[in-house]
Amino acid sequence: MAWVTWRQHRPQLLAAAALLAALAAAAVGTDIPIRAAYHRDALSGCLPPSARSGCDLIVRHFQGEFDSWAAALRGLTVLPALAGLFIGAPLLARELEHGTHRFAWTQSITRRHWLLAKTSLLAAATLAAAAVASALVMWWRTPFDTLEGRMAPSAFDLEGVVVPGYALYALALGTLAGLLLRRTVAAMTVTLIVFAASRLAVLEFLRPRFLSPLTRTVVASDGGRQAGDWVLNDTLVDAGGRQISTAREDLAILHAQHAGIDPHTYLVSVGWKRVISYQPASRFWTFQLFEAGLFVCLAAAVVFVTLALVRGNPG
Amino acid sequence: MTAPLAAEGLGKRFRRDWALRDCTLTIPDGAIVGLAGPNAAGKSTLLALATGLLGPTEGTISVLGLDPRRDASVLADVGYVAQGAPLYRSFTVAETIEFARRTNARWDDRVADGLLTVLDAKTRVGALSEGDRGRLALALVLGKRPRLLLLDEPFAGLDPLAGREFLQLLMDGVAETGATVVIASHVIADIERVCDHIVLLADGRVRLEGNVEELLGTHRILMGPRRPLGTIRGVREVVRERHSGRQLTLLVTTDGPIVDPSWTVDRVGLEELLLAYMAPERLPTPQPPEKVPLRWHG
Repeated sequence: MAWVTWRQHRPQLLAAAALLAALAAAAVGTDIPIRAAYHRDALSGCLPPSARSGCDLIVRHFQGEFDSWAAALRGLTVLPALAGLFIGAPLLARELEHGTHRFAWTQSITRRHWLLAKTSLLAAATLAAAAVASALVMWWRTPFDTLEGRMAPSAFDLEGVVVPGYALYALALGTLAGLLLRRTVAAMTVTLIVFAASRLAVLEFLRPRFLSPLTRTVVASDGGRQAGDWVLNDTLVDAGGRQISTAREDLAILHAQHAGIDPHTYLVSVGWKRVISYQPASRFWTFQLFEAGLFVCLAAAVVFVTLALVRGNPG
Repeated sequence: MTAPLAAEGLGKRFRRDWALRDCTLTIPDGAIVGLAGPNAAGKSTLLALATGLLGPTEGTISVLGLDPRRDASVLADVGYVAQGAPLYRSFTVAETIEFARRTNARWDDRVADGLLTVLDAKTRVGALSEGDRGRLALALVLGKRPRLLLLDEPFAGLDPLAGREFLQLLMDGVAETGATVVIASHVIADIERVCDHIVLLADGRVRLEGNVEELLGTHRILMGPRRPLGTIRGVREVVRERHSGRQLTLLVTTDGPIVDPSWTVDRVGLEELLLAYMAPERLPTPQPPEKVPLRWHG
């Protein structure tokens, strides 16, 4: 089956390899100016946990220069979905669309064996490609990760073991959609929608609760942001612990400005504090394993359903 | 010896419509079977059920003694060419053969190669003519050395010459392997040339099944002046009657010689016979089985 899989999916596998090569070239190309700036004496002396005065300015300068690049990198969030769209969705849909399943599934090999062999080989290729992409991103983002951490979704979603997990899930999802819808384009559309919905649901509702978040109370004037943490909630409370609405906060600041008092000092003087709930940077790998495991389990469940249904009545 | 293909009360429903219903038949070993019937009669459904591509809604089907849904291993002994001979269009001829070699436990290169000497191995399947594609599809199934060959409309898209050539290659291959063959076709002339057994489907039901010689031997056409029909000696049953002017033409099954001189008795051709059984409005009313020597339903 290895030859069959390679022959039938050659275009996609070659395209994936080309995409990775382009990604690597782009990473190396854009990395040169970033590393140059990063290794300038001023910045390297300021790397955490150093907190020399003026370091915040140097870091902010670096971020001002390269943050748009890091933001552009977020576009790679779609990368795992491509496995579902271009490998998973056509896997069964194209056969069913062209009737070639009547040829493939009436040879001596059973269709479960056929599907299992093909999906496991393609899954292996997908895993390898996703791992390479993830490693590339981690290498490219090293300066940013050191300065800003990688617990926030903008970095977390692109690094580590979750990327192969997402790709595997997308692949499984595409295969099932192809079997159910029997049309490549429809299967691609549904795969994208379901994949995006599940990613978003996990990001919004599950990941913040993988472990109970920590809280930190700081004085109101503090910016309160500590690099590397994923801040879930940042609220202002009064001395009695009651939450203060943004409208009230604005009113207080306005009041202080009119009275000619420094708003920061004013907020501290009335006893207001910030309560920040966050997931600490130290939980990065724990959360990576949780989320990757979750998506691998989802993928396994989808594959199980697909294998059960492929014995059904595809005609 | 188990029948290569047998069905018992077989039915298949798609959503609310029955594509096949109450199908009971037994194909004798080594027969060349013509599976006839108009479009949408259930021919493709029957073949898809035989390959396990579809599962029956009711009844059972057994292929070489096994249930194709439960024992997929039976596929090793079944050669199936689906309607339109679907193949991977981007594959070359050589790659298509390689595909079959790798997805079949038993594969005979000699059989396939013998058929494909006229084709360039590097041609893409999509670029082949219909005739050559049919030849390739045939090589793919014969290479499996199947005991049962199922061909779904193999002549559709072939010009008469290519069709004749296809049939010749098929019969040569079958003569070598001794396989039982089922050819589904809505063109009776295609079936007539080679088949020794007929299964006629219409509206999802088996209308007529039997050995061609036997069927032709027991059916007669009677022609005579128009008159009220009484019993005619030697006639078991009137299958169909047709009036044209003062002329009356009957298709009958016989149980003895017809001696009444007022009738001109004629043998019936296969095409005429099948057309008579196909037409729904002229069907004979169902009879208790003991009076019916041939198995026809409907």
